[in-house]
Order: sequence, then structure tokens, then C-alpha cells
Amino acid sequence: MNILEFARGPAFEVALIVFVFGVCWRLAGIFLMHRRLDRSKPRQGALIAGGMRAIVMRSLPPHELEKKIVFQHISGYAWHLAFFASVLLFAPHIPFFKQFLGFGWPTLPNTVALLSGAVALAILAALLWRRATRPVLRQLSTLDDYLSIVLVILPLVTGFMTYARVLPFGLRYETMLGLHVLSICALLVWFPFGKLMHLFLAFPARFQAGALLKRKGV
Amino acid sequence: MSATTAGLGGVRSALAALGGRVGLSTNTDQERLDKARAVMLGEIDGSHAAYMETCLHCGMCAEACHFYLGTNDAKYTPIWKVEPLKKVYQRELGPMRWLHRMVIPDITLKELEAWQPLVYDACTECGRCDLMCPMGIQISPMIGIMRRALAAADLLPAELAGAADEQKKQGSVLGAGRAELLALAHDLESAGIHVPLDLPAADVLLLTSALDVKAFPGSLKATAKILNKLKVNWTLLSNSIALLGTGESLKELHVRRIFDEAVRHGAKTVLLPECGHAYPALRFDSAHLIGEALPFSVYSIAEFVGREIIGGRLRVNREAAGGTVTYHDPCKLGRHGGVFDEPRAAIRALGLELREMESHGRTNLCCGGGGGQFMIERAAPLRHRAFELKMREVDDTGATKVLTACNSCRYNYQAGGAESNWLTPVESLVEHVAANLAD
Repeated sequence: MNILEFARGPAFEVALIVFVFGVCWRLAGIFLMHRRLDRSKPRQGALIAGGMRAIVMRSLPPHELEKKIVFQHISGYAWHLAFFASVLLFAPHIPFFKQFLGFGWPTLPNTVALLSGAVALAILAALLWRRATRPVLRQLSTLDDYLSIVLVILPLVTGFMTYARVLPFGLRYETMLGLHVLSICALLVWFPFGKLMHLFLAFPARFQAGALLKRKGV
Repeated sequence: MSATTAGLGGVRSALAALGGRVGLSTNTDQERLDKARAVMLGEIDGSHAAYMETCLHCGMCAEACHFYLGTNDAKYTPIWKVEPLKKVYQRELGPMRWLHRMVIPDITLKELEAWQPLVYDACTECGRCDLMCPMGIQISPMIGIMRRALAAADLLPAELAGAADEQKKQGSVLGAGRAELLALAHDLESAGIHVPLDLPAADVLLLTSALDVKAFPGSLKATAKILNKLKVNWTLLSNSIALLGTGESLKELHVRRIFDEAVRHGAKTVLLPECGHAYPALRFDSAHLIGEALPFSVYSIAEFVGREIIGGRLRVNREAAGGTVTYHDPCKLGRHGGVFDEPRAAIRALGLELREMESHGRTNLCCGGGGGQFMIERAAPLRHRAFELKMREVDDTGATKVLTACNSCRYNYQAGGAESNWLTPVESLVEHVAANLAD
């Protein structure tokens, strides 16, 4: 079994099990926890509408306090769009998804998808720099913050190297592709333990905040 | 319409006396730590869990906090103020606690002591950070838990501990209690303003605060005039000051006592004075503290007056002097209570030109003294840094006076303004309404 076979086979299977079980475990632990029933009379009804609105509007520029957070907003939107475009709309990835899900979808031209990946990488580098140098961010940062950034950078870097056939140390193409898949496995394994879980948690958190503020008429 | 200098001075000297009122803790360090932890574990529920699990450590909340904006000091980042709470959650309650226990150290009393100035001196629970967070994390309620945990560990700042102690033992706050309230009511009666005290039953139950009695008696006078004009069946509780809580630690007890009084009086409405703190506590928090829906409505007096004006039941004359004003939204009425439109309706009815500050309504900047912060002497320099932001926003409007609906804000404006020789008058909206009632 070579590294590519290992990565695509047992490594990916284990990573997927950890990912699925870990995500379910964490979500269940949070959402099955006791919640106080709010019996106060709402100032405004339509609490669900308030929650749904918050899901959409919470970080939609221009935020009501936009003046101070322009960079975070633009970089946040740009990063997520660029990253998911490079992952989901890059033609060489589609056979994998098709094998896994049983269906595929249209893609972007490779140049555009690669450019998206480059933008995502550049933004991550900038965010890492900010986190390491700004007092507020440095104070708040934990191992999770740095590890999560590094584990997202690795698939992007190895992906570029694989596609461009940049093969240091005399590595074979298959080995580099195997490293790319392994970096994705590492990301999947870490996912349930760290901040990347906001993919699943952001919308519920926004929803409950939106419903609460609607109750208060704010 | 401003408070008398003697009134403000009286508050200042009463505050100065509070510091020495409470002695050192008689509990051991371990007992104090255990009590704090018990409060945290008892109060964290699924909603707090979702918030703490979702934090990205993006630091955006700092850009909403007037203490951070006024100082640029990273330690004032709002989410940082709940760090011990997060630790307790992650180690004891979170779904990944088996992992976190291996890497996150337990909280210590020393750590809680270090967090005391962060949650009391450097937070007014204004809730502006709650608006900023891209994940929707409601930070200020979690800072409330931190405050109650620290109070349980005998880590209330001396002035707040002194005020709570005075209220508990004597039923007074800042030296104002039932006797002083009765004297004020007597003065108002002498001036021809009827104040129905302690009637056995009433549709509207009015509470008043120590600040009203001590520094802003015009506020109670205005309220009485308006209620009499409306011919509502109302009564003022002479034990109001003992009922309106002074601290987070006693919130549940005070809410329960007000609830019992309202039910005993058969009140349809509980009317709160120009006191921000009490409003969200009674309007929104009390139902779950008590465990049942309130059988009465809760209004702040500014909200009530605005509603009556909007409903056409209260008519006011346009102010003869006219002029430009700006309105300071008290955080507890606005961001924590949704009271935005009613005060503005009253201002419009008075014919005043309203010039909004850059930060107003939902995004209003706190005056810097809410949440009991104005009582903490050592926090004065920090309070002033935050207040400077407020002064700038007021000045930028070009308005000739500030109107507000919270006497803690009003006190803080006047105290902060005096320190900077800032002369813009800060007045009560309700007093303006009462002075212009139409026949």
C-alpha cells in the first residue's frame, strides 16, 4: 500500500468517522443541554422571523457598527467564498465528490478556481499575521486558532503543489497527491474539536440571538 | 430641572462612605472559589453553551466596547471578560470536557480577583458587544453571570457590596430610604401634587429609586403630575427603595418581592422610575426567575409616557423655548429593552428638534457609568475615558441639551461633565413632558 492508497483508503475512512461522530457528539452535547424557558411577554412577536433575519443579516455588510470592522467583514466574506469555490468548483475535485456522493456538478474554469484558492491562501496568511501581531487577537488566541489556520492552509498548499506538479525532494506525483489527501484527513479529524465547528454552530447561535433581540424589540 | 449641586454632592459623599461598610470575607479561599463555580455551573444553560462554543476569537467585540475604544487596551475586549466562565464551561459542562480537562487549567481565586476590575469597573453590561459579534454571541448576559459568580466569592467591589449591605440591613440606598421617600412625598403634597402612598389596591403600581429621592426629586414629581393628569388609579410604594435591587446578587430576591407586591395590589401595570437597571430585570428576566409569566405589564416611565402620547391619551404643549436636543438611549431601556420609539415620540410632541448622535438607538454608546459602575470610585479614570467618547458624540450633534430617561445615566453625565467643565445640560425627558402638559 503506497501513501496515496493509504490516504484514500484507511486514513480517509478513519478521518471521516472521527469527523461525523465528533460533529454529532459536539452538536448533541450543546443542543441537548438544558435551556431556560423564557416566559417574558415578547415586545414583538415573530421570534422565528427575528432569528432567521439574524442568520442572514448578522454579518452582512454594512453592519450597523461597520466603521471599525471593514477589514474583518471583507476578508471574512472573501475568504469563505474563495475557499469554497476552490474546493467545490475545481474540476479535478469533482470525480472525488462523484465517487463519494454519486453525482457531480458544473465547475469553474481551472484558472478561476485556482485563483480563488490563491485568494483564500493570501487571506489566511493575512489573518494569521493579524492574529500574531494585534494585541486583542493575540490575547484571545489559543492553540485552536493557530492550528485551525495551519490545517486549512495545508490542503491549499499541497493542492497547488499537486496541480502544478511542484514536487520537492524528488517526491512522486502520487506521493504529493497522497499528502494532499492526508492534509484533508488531518483537517477532518481536527474539525469537531476546534473553532472550525462554527460551520455548524454559527447559524444556530445567530438564530437564538436574533430571536432574543426580537423578543426585546431590539 | 437639573439636580441640585447639593443633591449630586449628597450622592458623592454617600458613595464615598460605602467603601468601608463591608469587612473582609469570612469564607476560606476554597469556599469562595467553590461558590463562584457553583453560580457559574448553575447558570450556564444551552444558549450560553452555543455562544461559548461558537466564538471565533475574532476580537470584533472590542470595537463595540466604550472601555476598549476609550483606551485601546486589549484586556477590555468583552469576550475576554468571560474567560473564567468559558474555562468552567469547557472543563465541566462542554461536550469535549474530557479533552479540555487535560489542557485547560482550572480557575483559581487569584484569577477571579484579577477579573474583578474587568467585569465591574470595565463593563456596564451595556450590550453593545452583543450587537457586534458576527456569530450573534450575547456577551453581556454572560458577564452578568461572571458578576454574580464573583459576588458569591465575596469579590464585589467595596461600594457595590456596601450598597447591597445597606439595602439588605436598612432598606435604604445611599442613605435614602423609606423615611426620606415619605418626606419627599410630603413635600410634593405640600406643593399641591397628590402622591397616593401605599394604597391597598391600584391599577398602576409606581416604584421610585434612591437616586430620585437623593438627587433627582423632580423626576418623581413629574411622574406624579403625569399620572394625576391621566387620572389613573395609581399608588407609590413607600418601600420602593428596599425593593429595587442594587446588585446582580440580589436580583432574584428583589424581582420576587416586586412580583408579590404587584399581585397583592392587583396591579395591571408596574411602572418603573427613570432607572435603567430595573427595567430589563423586571420586564424580561423576572418571568424566568419566578418561573411563570407576569400577570401585569411592566413599563419604564419614559416608555409609558411615550405610549400615552402616541395613543392620544396624554397631550402636551410644544415647548415655548423650543430648541435642539439629542436623546441618550439608556442601554438598559434601549438595547436591553427595546424602548426607542416612545421617548422620541414624546420629544416630537414637545416640538423639540431632535438631533441624533452618531451612535443612537440600538448602537448607542453607553455613558460609561451603567451597571453600578458609576458607584466604583477607583474606576473613575476609566469611566471618564469612556465618557469622553460620549461628550464628543453629543458635541457633534450641535444640540443644546441632552435628554434622557435614566437617572444613573443623568448622574454619570453630570458627574463626568463637571470633571471636564462640559456645560451641556442633561435633563429628564419625563420632567420636560410634565412641565408641558396640555389642559
